[in-house]
Amino acid sequence: MGTAFMSMEKYQPTPRAQAFLESVRNGKYKREIITGLGKFIDGKVPEDMQTLYTPEQLKDLLALRGTERDVEARMPVKITRHYFELAKHSKALQTLVRADPKETADMGGAADPGKQMSYSPVEGLIHKYELGLIYVASTCSAHCRFCYREELIAQKEVERPDGTFAPKGLAVITDIVAYIKQHNAEVASNGGRHPRTGREKLREILMSGGDPMVLANKNLAEWWSALADTGIDSIRIGTKEAAFYPERFDETFFEMLDNFHAAYPGTRLRFMVHFNHPDEFLKKDERGMYIDDPQGGLEWIPATKRAIEGFGQRSWLTVDNQAPIINGINDDADALRIMQREMRRNRVENHYFFCGRDIIGHKAFNVPIERVWQLLNESQKGLSGVEAHARLSITHYKGKTEVAAVSNKPLAGIPGTENGFVVLKLMRGAEDAKDRGKVTIVGRNPEAIWFNDYDDRVIYDEAGLFADVKQVKSPEPAAANSTLLQRKA
Amino acid sequence: MTYVVGENCIKCKHTDCIEVCPVNCFYEGPNTLVIHPDECIDCALCVPKCPVNAIYAEADLPEDQAAFLELNAELAQVWPNITDRKEPLPEAEQWNGVPNKLQYLVR
Repeated sequence: MGTAFMSMEKYQPTPRAQAFLESVRNGKYKREIITGLGKFIDGKVPEDMQTLYTPEQLKDLLALRGTERDVEARMPVKITRHYFELAKHSKALQTLVRADPKETADMGGAADPGKQMSYSPVEGLIHKYELGLIYVASTCSAHCRFCYREELIAQKEVERPDGTFAPKGLAVITDIVAYIKQHNAEVASNGGRHPRTGREKLREILMSGGDPMVLANKNLAEWWSALADTGIDSIRIGTKEAAFYPERFDETFFEMLDNFHAAYPGTRLRFMVHFNHPDEFLKKDERGMYIDDPQGGLEWIPATKRAIEGFGQRSWLTVDNQAPIINGINDDADALRIMQREMRRNRVENHYFFCGRDIIGHKAFNVPIERVWQLLNESQKGLSGVEAHARLSITHYKGKTEVAAVSNKPLAGIPGTENGFVVLKLMRGAEDAKDRGKVTIVGRNPEAIWFNDYDDRVIYDEAGLFADVKQVKSPEPAAANSTLLQRKA
Repeated sequence: MTYVVGENCIKCKHTDCIEVCPVNCFYEGPNTLVIHPDECIDCALCVPKCPVNAIYAEADLPEDQAAFLELNAELAQVWPNITDRKEPLPEAEQWNGVPNKLQYLVR
């Protein structure tokens, strides 16, 4: 991994960071994690947890072991006791954590979805926009079968821009700090834009993985203070821990948050939580129904409620939920409606819903793009405006793209729209912001689960999402169409 | 599930694992290391780092080293946490792979 910034120097905290770090206590956690199918196959899990798989299911999975269709080689199996308890009464949650032979029935997909390695100047850092994403852990407390970082979690060899293959490595504090400092210095001395890439200063870092919340408080605290000292003004933490192990957000954690805020009052923390389904946070009665909370809304699982309330009480941080919509888990408008309502009630903003990415094996998980749009639209019919902030995003390698509209009606006079059309809007170019707001219109394909399923029906491509596709229609008629569309709108 | 430091760490104690552990769950005795089973998050990063292949996933622990599961749990409670890499023990080379090292474990 001989990148230019690789250093083995130890991180030296500033005096301000040192004072904060000395105040941080590590908590003790009992996640009671079960890793690997072997434990289920050998009957070595606690008796009640054995029910997650039937003997037939284990037999089928065992038959795939060591073959090209080995489900654990694609994505390691992992579950916490907390999540198991929830999954006992939820088909959706079982589907989220239970390995299934269908995952490897079709191994089509991208080894490095989003072409991340082409945006990685330092090991463990993906630099897009004015935001940097860092991998700080290569595991989570439990594993979603549909994980779009399966290549990192399973430590697969990924091709680098130089043609070599190696597993994605984790970020190292000293390397990341050195990169941010150098990048921002070059931007500053060039009038606000990077001389080579045209990017702005790096002002936000998203800690991801894996799940940063598997790290101990002291590890998190080192990252936060180092990033804050480098001039990063907001730190995002992408985590599913509130669903997998909410007890992680304990007294020692919130004490650390408060001490961090006292030491670095200008640095914002933005928690990006990941709930796919209300079964991950709502209590159910014996009949499997959610329970009305006499105070309003629905009754939550106490540990999850404590975690989310702990965040809600701290006005200087934000919490946003984002989740993909996955086949058999949350392709359910009622579940999505309840989730959006309860999130907003509890000060969690509904940020994005995602179409599944084109990871290896994605055909087992992805819901057709137009169907996802319809589900989300249907779910938002019962919501007030403030509850319905979430947009539907699909991640093109050029940047995050909104699936803005799907219409069943043809556009008069425009060939290819006989069955209706889909409007895609680029929300962010990965390189910089210049293409923001540009749109692409394609003819409908109700079976489409990824961009390439629209390759043969591109009507208009201002956003350039299909620029790499050879058979794209000539620009002249497309431009004419665009004028027509604007007039119709 | 946890990862377990097995017999071959005794009298070697290379500490390469310390550097990669994302949760600092290693604890240090006079002549070996152990992993705290409740703190380990099963990330497996330490396994390939160990120059003497002393670390195992609990499920892969060889039968003749089964006692190390309990030993790791017990000693992690009493030994100090180690977060910085250091020099291996001076005779690490000679002791690598020597059988039946459990008898030399210093508590």
